[in-house]
Amino acid sequence: MESKIVDHLFRHHYGKMVAILTRYFGLAYIETIEDAVQDTFIKATLQWRKQLPVNPEAWLNKVAKNRTIDLLRSIKSQKVRSEKLLKDNSSEELNDLFLDHEIEDSQLRMIFVACHPSLKPQEQIAFALKTISGFSTREIAAALLTKEDTIAKRLRRAKQTIIKNQLQFDFPPPNEVEDRLARVMHVVYLTFNEGFHSTNKDKLIREDLCGEAIRLCKLLLKKEKFRSGSLYALFALLCFHASRLESKTDINGEIVDMLKQDRSQWFFPLIQMGNSAMNKAMEFDKVSIYHYEAAIAAEHIKAKTFKNTNWNKILLYYKKLQDLQPNTFTLLNIAIVELQLNNFEVVRQILDSFEASDLEQRAYLYYGCYSEYYERRGDLVLAISFLDQAILNTTNALEKRYLEKKKVILQNRI
Amino acid sequence: MKDFMMIFIGADYQELGLSPEELQSRMGKWFAWGQKMEAQGILKGGEALIPTVKRIVGQDRTVSDGPFEDSKEIIGGYYTVSAKNADAVVAIAQDYPDYDLGGTVEIREVMVFDR
Repeated sequence: MESKIVDHLFRHHYGKMVAILTRYFGLAYIETIEDAVQDTFIKATLQWRKQLPVNPEAWLNKVAKNRTIDLLRSIKSQKVRSEKLLKDNSSEELNDLFLDHEIEDSQLRMIFVACHPSLKPQEQIAFALKTISGFSTREIAAALLTKEDTIAKRLRRAKQTIIKNQLQFDFPPPNEVEDRLARVMHVVYLTFNEGFHSTNKDKLIREDLCGEAIRLCKLLLKKEKFRSGSLYALFALLCFHASRLESKTDINGEIVDMLKQDRSQWFFPLIQMGNSAMNKAMEFDKVSIYHYEAAIAAEHIKAKTFKNTNWNKILLYYKKLQDLQPNTFTLLNIAIVELQLNNFEVVRQILDSFEASDLEQRAYLYYGCYSEYYERRGDLVLAISFLDQAILNTTNALEKRYLEKKKVILQNRI
Repeated sequence: MKDFMMIFIGADYQELGLSPEELQSRMGKWFAWGQKMEAQGILKGGEALIPTVKRIVGQDRTVSDGPFEDSKEIIGGYYTVSAKNADAVVAIAQDYPDYDLGGTVEIREVMVFDR
């Protein structure tokens, strides 16, 4: 039998099954449920070696369901619904939850649980990647460039908080939807950024993170009550960025900057999707940070070459972004754009208005900007010394190599 | 042609905490390997074993349940294949998917009883 399993079926199905089973049995049993689902995949890897089932998803659902019930039964002194399961036919009720629209509904509930305000932001991302996206602790650690232990701790804390606070597996009440949705969008945005801006050597991990963020965003857009200008704008932003994910690194995994990226490689279908999302976003009155970020990304994509970039427009959007949500990182971006426009005085003023350390682990970008400032002004010696500072302040090997290459080019010009 | 058993030791997925994505990729490799042997007509049989172990030891027939400290490397399954000799089975076993997880393949010839 020539048959193939859909890519990522296990990973995506992990999130689905955990969500459905949690909806039925309750968040208090999330650990047992996760164990049961994990067991299901192990069983599948053994049984499917010989023969793939006719309907893999149905097979997984059935086994996960039964395994959960078994595990819950084996836990003593429980008042779980599994007892109810034994007595009446409520398993039909459970079966209903495996219908497509119910699966989405359950997954959306899980997203809101993951982004519950009682969890810390770092815990939210880890929990979302584990529970909704089916990443293992090790994969999350690799994706977020963090130690496995740290991730395990965050996951543990997240689950403890959920159980201690007796969080319900439900959507937030109408008066809280806007606030909670803002948090959800932020987590989606951060997840994407981890993939997009990360300098993770493993390209697959980066793509997976971006892909997951886009998938979650799509899922949210399916529900009318969650659709908003900012959600559409966020989706547009992710599409625009994702369209050039491929050209951000070369075949050797080395960083390629915007100036040198092969623009013909940018993925057009995603750009189109971004454009239509952006049009939708503009139909709403409220303008969010995502609107401006998407507009900036769109401007970069519109330019046929780096030289043709409309820096004035981008500057305007960055300034609006800064008005809406003041942020040192945006300030740095303003300085970088002003530099492209050769407004040297302004660049200096901005860079002197804050410290490199305000950018935390991205401090090297501050020195990089200063280096380019001196390069453009023709002071290569100072340019190189700031580049040295930048190199000193990055821990990432890929970035270091990129900066060192730049340094060699500058040295050769002296 | 003789029959040989390839016995797979170690690389217990449960213990290793593999992610769903990793499990799927492993499963795909196992499936492809099985298909390949099937197509060559050399696959005689095989089973995957559930990692829970019960042991009966000694004259008292003492029964104990695993996991056991000394059996970290448990047998995960086996395939029986027909081949010319053990070297040919070594060639077949190149496709075993779990070497990178510390897994081992042990090749043993099946004894033929005289009639």
